[in-house]
Amino acid sequence: MIHFLLKGLLRDKNRSLFPIIIVSIGVALTVFLSGYIKGVMGDMIDTTAKFDTGHVKVMTRAYAKNIDQMPNDLALMGVEKLTKELARKYPEVTWVKRIKFTGLLDVPDDKGETIRQGPAMGLAIGLFSGSGREVARMNIKNSIKAGKIPENPGEALIGIELAQKLKLKPKDIVTYLGSTMNGSMAFMNFIVTGFVRFGSQSLDKGAIIIDIFDAQEMLDMPDACGEILGFFENNVYFDSKAQILASAFNTEYFDESEEFSPVMVRLKDQANLAYYMDYVDLYTMIFVGIFVIAMSVVLWNTGLLGGLRRYQEFGIRLALGESKDMIFRSLIIEALLIGTTGSVLGTIIGLIATWILQVHGIDISSMTANSTIMVPSIIRSKVTPDLFYIGFIPGLFAMVLGNLLAGIGIFKRQTAQLFKELEI
Amino acid sequence: MKIISVENVVKCFPVGDGKFTALDHISLDFFTGEFAGLVGPSGSGKTTLLNIIGSLDKPSKGKAQVAGKDIEALTHKQAAQLRNHSIGFIFQVFNLLPVYTVFENVEFALLLQKKPWHERKKAVMDALEWVGLENMADKKISKLSGGESQRVAIARAMVKRPRIMLADEPSANLDAKNTHSIMETMKTLNQEFKTTFLFSTHDEKVMQYLDRIIHLEDGKVVKDEIITSRKEDF
Repeated sequence: MIHFLLKGLLRDKNRSLFPIIIVSIGVALTVFLSGYIKGVMGDMIDTTAKFDTGHVKVMTRAYAKNIDQMPNDLALMGVEKLTKELARKYPEVTWVKRIKFTGLLDVPDDKGETIRQGPAMGLAIGLFSGSGREVARMNIKNSIKAGKIPENPGEALIGIELAQKLKLKPKDIVTYLGSTMNGSMAFMNFIVTGFVRFGSQSLDKGAIIIDIFDAQEMLDMPDACGEILGFFENNVYFDSKAQILASAFNTEYFDESEEFSPVMVRLKDQANLAYYMDYVDLYTMIFVGIFVIAMSVVLWNTGLLGGLRRYQEFGIRLALGESKDMIFRSLIIEALLIGTTGSVLGTIIGLIATWILQVHGIDISSMTANSTIMVPSIIRSKVTPDLFYIGFIPGLFAMVLGNLLAGIGIFKRQTAQLFKELEI
Repeated sequence: MKIISVENVVKCFPVGDGKFTALDHISLDFFTGEFAGLVGPSGSGKTTLLNIIGSLDKPSKGKAQVAGKDIEALTHKQAAQLRNHSIGFIFQVFNLLPVYTVFENVEFALLLQKKPWHERKKAVMDALEWVGLENMADKKISKLSGGESQRVAIARAMVKRPRIMLADEPSANLDAKNTHSIMETMKTLNQEFKTTFLFSTHDEKVMQYLDRIIHLEDGKVVKDEIITSRKEDF
């Protein structure tokens, strides 16, 4: 009997091929949209983590309290030892030193007289003194719009809009004027090797990027830095991991009586990100939820119509002596078969599309040129574990539910009434 | 031998706040091998009575016994079993399953009876032979003419060798030549297997073949005539 029904199912494209195509498309769209939203929302957090917060950040308690002022006078001391300890205790995390600073950039003429000047926000990273992972992490090579990456001490990259404002050309010299860690005046000349555009106005309009050793020398911060950032493997943030790591670190290092004792904060605890991430999670859930419900309604309707379309066939089968529950059971089995096939196909298609967009991305740098927030210049989707099952909600559940409802119609009616409705 | 017994059967349907009486105290008996028909205008109760006899519906009052089973006492599973084993249906629009072949359409009733393949094959080929379609077993339903389709429907109903055949307006979609042809086929099967045939019709061409004509009007039997002379013609 099952063989007979399967034969009918395979031969009738209206019952097999078309529903499978509809389910596959619906499921593929659900999977892709879900991966896309997660990717885009996740990218914004990733960008913030790479440029500013890390996945975890170690600072002094005093620095953490006044972090908005970039208070290098409250910076961490003995960072070589601390970084080595961190690398030993938490080898799964990559630890990097960063110094943020502010000051003036002065453009002198041949005689050293100021011709132009502007405020600058400095960022010191392992440009050429590190392993190169910072350069890769911040995608600096691809962000250079003119010139090249610094290779020697005393060289700097400048945000492209700041460079335009100061009318700089590659190889020009600029002088940084600011204050050292101890409050003295700080001066240092830099050769501008290139201009960068990150697609973030705050960086493009005011950034000077130098190597961490230059910053330590310039700001009189030997063996000191403002922040030590930790990044998890593959640059993917896991809040639970960060929470465990921060708790363990703080239990060991936190000293209530010492305001310069180091403290570790996770990404979510910084820059109001907790609110933003909860907001992102909520809206991701809402967007994906709405789409899943919409697709469920479509596929439920497909199931319902598919069931109703076959009322005549059910009538014939009733007349030939098949019982209502046998018909109902065969209807649900067919829906399960079609729903499963469509869901598997749709999930595979959706995952492939998501993966392609994750790898290649869509370049939106021209659209974000004037953005004032830190947004990625390339939109990418993200393949996450839930994408492997999320499509089965509309694909399988809704399809079976639709058929179930169509089938209940068979049960609720008197046989003769049903027979009449079947137009036999 | 009495195979269908209908005693004082009343069937009412709710209509708005009131009710419509489709069958009004009907009493009829049918015997094995009868070739009878229910005749009457639309709304006279033909199809309602056929539905009750076919265990598709239950009487509101009264008693209906078919092949030894009390219709009003049957569960829907028992009713399905009764239809599967004892009753064959023929419809005016053939109602064949279009995705299956002629053979498979006829085979379906036997699959429900869980008959083994070799028995099914023989029974289906025999049934197709009775209706003269033995060479069309592998044909698609869509390739058949109206007359051929109704023959397949007859073979499908007869393949399980039911004791009762119920035919609701079987000639409604057939021309005169095909009507005579299928009526002759059914008459032959009736005589060969002693199957009781009960028609619902208002087609004069069908009536010509009936041995007994029951006239219904407003849910009541107004005339029950036995046509003995015609019996001798066949």
